[in-house]
Amino acid sequence: MNQLPLNIPLKKFHEDNGAKMIPFAGFNMPINYTTGIINEHKIVRNHCGIFDVSHMGQILIDNNEINIKNLEQYIPLNLKNLKKNKSNYTFLLNENGGIIDDLIISNIDFKGKSNFYIVYNASRKNEDEEIFLKCAPSAKTIYNKNCLFAIQGPNSINVLENIIEIPKDMNFLDINIFKYEKNEVIVSRTGYTGEDGFEISILIEQSENFLKKILKSKDTMLCGLGSRDSLRLEAGLSLYGHELNENITPVDAGLIWALDKERLNDKKLNGGNILIDQIKKKTSKKKIGIISLNRSMLREGMNLLDNKNNIIGKITSGCFSPNLNKSIAIGYVNTETNFKNEIFCEIRNKIELVKKTNLPFIKKNYKKKGGNNE
Amino acid sequence: MSEKKYTKDHEWVSIQNDIATVGISNHAQESLGDIVFIELPSVGKSIKANDEICVVESVKAASDIYAPIDGEIIEINNNLENEAAIINQDAENTGWIFKMKISNEAQYNELMSEDDYKKFLEQ
Repeated sequence: MNQLPLNIPLKKFHEDNGAKMIPFAGFNMPINYTTGIINEHKIVRNHCGIFDVSHMGQILIDNNEINIKNLEQYIPLNLKNLKKNKSNYTFLLNENGGIIDDLIISNIDFKGKSNFYIVYNASRKNEDEEIFLKCAPSAKTIYNKNCLFAIQGPNSINVLENIIEIPKDMNFLDINIFKYEKNEVIVSRTGYTGEDGFEISILIEQSENFLKKILKSKDTMLCGLGSRDSLRLEAGLSLYGHELNENITPVDAGLIWALDKERLNDKKLNGGNILIDQIKKKTSKKKIGIISLNRSMLREGMNLLDNKNNIIGKITSGCFSPNLNKSIAIGYVNTETNFKNEIFCEIRNKIELVKKTNLPFIKKNYKKKGGNNE
Repeated sequence: MSEKKYTKDHEWVSIQNDIATVGISNHAQESLGDIVFIELPSVGKSIKANDEICVVESVKAASDIYAPIDGEIIEINNNLENEAAIINQDAENTGWIFKMKISNEAQYNELMSEDDYKKFLEQ
């Protein structure tokens, strides 16, 4: 059955601000505004851009022993040891270690109780919520009450500070509850653009007024999913449905750093033994970055070939990179491939030499003390 | 220069004597968004109406350009090689893509007038 796309709460506000809307993951979403994707991309890299990502899933789950025990079947982290007021990138795993979804889980006190606050992909709401509610029947989704905004770019701290009091020592992956006009907002120093920035979960009633205030700052503008995609691709970040799916494990995807290695030995964790095996041996595929050597555009689904015309992999995401001024892509290649040899891409009906590169394509610009990978 | 005409695939065509100039409509440029690359056709190529002639790549997607009329490519807009964004700025003028010598003027007469194209877009 074909269902009509849902609307985010501020649909009209976006349309009034020049948004071009497209269906995405079951929602009508802004793909770009009047100045276009490339300009929005540059605003985020150089100043500050605001994304409405209210289509994403947000849920609160009581932080208690039973819920932890149930969730740890799917989540490869030690949930008891999650630091308070910290966000963690992780996954829901299926029995084969395949990725049901990638998500951010945070340990925060909300309304006087310790909670896991989880933000997950809109396209995976059904699958994820079935698991969350099975693990924790009292879990409460909050996306019907709260909008979610991402404020991204080197100036985002200056822009947000004018409106919400942000402590000076708040670093990448820190999360806390702050006040915005007497109500509580959840603010984390996260995002998916490779830039410094914040994600803000705020009551729908306050959200338009909040956006209007933010947009009063100089060099700040609304940005859509088009630039969000080119920004995350330049930053080498994986997107569910492209680089990640149920047949790809975190090891395949080069995301071993996001796994708690001790938890992999826990029989309770889905696919733990498979992941250990993959880490020890070698997975059959490897995620790589690809850069076009001319003006051709690399697109999802294009075949990657060796110098004997054998298909060795596929592009999972491709776009024009405004920072590199050429096309970039992420793809998977068989690990038997000799990487010293040249890689070619089947671009429409031509076979062109492309350049393999490490991810990310640009240097990430997070505000942090220690190290973290992605 | 004759009246500008339009195809259902959002190309525009204007003719002078037996030479047609072809580009994509302003509407097409708007819906494609930022255009970053155009794969131009080869001069001298014989083409038939509705053949795929070249490709316009925007940040979002690739879009085929079709021949509006039978003929032969005689000139391409080399300025687009380095600055495809000209199409975004001026799709129906300096953003022309190729010129062709046409062999069947009747095909031109069958294309939509500007008014008809506007109505077509409203449908």
